[in-house]
Amino acid sequence: MTTNTAGNAATTADTIGQPERGGGTSVLLCDLTRAFGATRALDGLSIDMAPGELVALLGPSGCGKTTALRIVAGFETADTGSVLVDGKDISSVPAARRDMGMVFQSYSLFPNMSALDNVGFGLRMRKIGAGERRKQAGDLLDMVGLAPQASQYPHQLSGGQQQRVALARALAIEPRVLLLDEPLSALDAKVRLQLREQIRTLQQRLGTTTLFVTHDQEEALSMADRVGVMSNGRLEQIAAPDELYTDPATAFVAEFVGVMNRIPGELQAGDQVTALGSTIPVRGHRLGQSAVDVLVRPEGLRLEVVENGNGIVTTRTFLGSVTRVGVQLSGDVAVQVDRPSAEAAALAPGASVAVSLPAQPVLVAARRVS
Amino acid sequence: MATLAERASEGIAPPRRRKAAPLGVSIWRWVVLLVTGAYFLIPLWAALRFAGIGAFGSVVGEAGFTSSLALSVRLAVITTLLTIALILPTAVYVHLRLPKLRRLLEGITILPIVIPPVVLIVGVLAIAPGVLKGTSLLLALVYVVLAMPFAYRAIDAGLRALDLKTIVEASNSLGAGWGSTLWRVILPNLRTALLSATVLTVALVLGEFTIASLDLYQTFPVWIYVNSQTSGQVSVAASLLALFVTWVFLLVITVLGSRQSRKTGGGEVTLFTVARTETRGN
Repeated sequence: MTTNTAGNAATTADTIGQPERGGGTSVLLCDLTRAFGATRALDGLSIDMAPGELVALLGPSGCGKTTALRIVAGFETADTGSVLVDGKDISSVPAARRDMGMVFQSYSLFPNMSALDNVGFGLRMRKIGAGERRKQAGDLLDMVGLAPQASQYPHQLSGGQQQRVALARALAIEPRVLLLDEPLSALDAKVRLQLREQIRTLQQRLGTTTLFVTHDQEEALSMADRVGVMSNGRLEQIAAPDELYTDPATAFVAEFVGVMNRIPGELQAGDQVTALGSTIPVRGHRLGQSAVDVLVRPEGLRLEVVENGNGIVTTRTFLGSVTRVGVQLSGDVAVQVDRPSAEAAALAPGASVAVSLPAQPVLVAARRVS
Repeated sequence: MATLAERASEGIAPPRRRKAAPLGVSIWRWVVLLVTGAYFLIPLWAALRFAGIGAFGSVVGEAGFTSSLALSVRLAVITTLLTIALILPTAVYVHLRLPKLRRLLEGITILPIVIPPVVLIVGVLAIAPGVLKGTSLLLALVYVVLAMPFAYRAIDAGLRALDLKTIVEASNSLGAGWGSTLWRVILPNLRTALLSATVLTVALVLGEFTIASLDLYQTFPVWIYVNSQTSGQVSVAASLLALFVTWVFLLVITVLGSRQSRKTGGGEVTLFTVARTETRGN
């Protein structure tokens, strides 16, 4: 969890290349709290975004990520806490004067305007003359590859095209901050993939500080400079995608991001845990109880073909360079183990195998009663 | 660019091909059409025969024709403006901020249909302030109440067809305040709905008899009735004229509305519903 100030966070911008436009804007979400009745949608959320950074908020539905974004946009107000843009508290500034471009989950183009007029709408509100407006809007449509569709109306455009126009419209006002509220979730897989890359490329080129809300971990991990994983209105961890995967701070993050095995174990004295016949060190939080689950990723487990091992192969799924092997362990525990595909030939369903833990410290979580 | 042109034309006129109906069905269609047509047209034809073409010429010269028609038109304009000014912001506000109240509002707006006009006008006359009594504004205010069920439903249907919350927020985020959002975003997308509300309100006002006659206003329908006592032919000719004017009016509005919806992909203009075709998939 970062609470560093905007000053030293500027170094992050260097890692994503020099922005074309301006120096970017820093955004600080400061201890935001918001309750809807008895539900705490946000419970002390703090995030520091460096200029030009793309931060994704990832979490299950109802975790508060959209509420956070809407507070930044000015569509919701926080009960406590503040939003600082370039060090200035904008809590009392109405949404219309925040200079934030937003792309919505549902199609949000104005049905009565052509693509060009939609993109030009924000410029019109800024009293920019018709000629200049058309030129700028045209350039932006060109940027998202939709110049030929300029005169078409939203109902004549496909879903992917509509979201690209919406993106161009949000960028047209040269926003200080770009807010993306699950903009890809209504699209089919192929379009989603293309648009994902297009958004990221544009965002890096323009250097616009961007907050991106999604429930799709692949989207978050592939696009963001940093990913904040949220649960129950709290930020569980915010880190670079690779760090989130390899070094999750909590059991929630570990299980939410990527595939995770749970293997029953017993906590021992001195931060050790015993599972699958070996005793290894525990990382992170200690739990009050001794009955725990050890959390290990499929590529972290070791697997050998042996006579009378502790498990039997049940499934084998070819995933390209690796093959994912499903193993049934004694005690009704099922795990998944990744092996290089070249070595997976012997691991046919029914084969007896020995599964063991890695030597590295592992995360543990309270045992789940199934 | 052939594909582009194809796509454009496809968007403008969504193909809705019907399969050719079997012969039996086709014959039945014609039978139904003829019977209904006869039902509507025979009385009109009879009225036309009774009045005679000459009566149309003398209608205009009749005493009270111009003043009663002017009163009705004035009432139609005032009522429509008041109704829309009242219902539109209310409906928008309820859709955006108080969606739970939508049911209640629907219930309230249906009341004028349930309450008999006689009860309504007696009640209004009992409580109306003296300054309003006898003025056309009082009648217009009563008509606003009568028009509410129709106008509210037309506008509500238009709002339902829009993702109002999202487009309002999109407009806000682009720097538009409430005035610009209402004027440039909400109103243009409700054009069809507003036209429907206008048609219904105008038709109601131009045809209303009970309340006007009870309150002793000589509106056009009241004039026709009074005139029928003295000259049946002239009053029938006036009725036909009124019918014709209303038809032309409806036609104009329907054409205007469908031109708009062709452009923006909205549905057909009908009096009660404004269905918007769904956006095509990816």
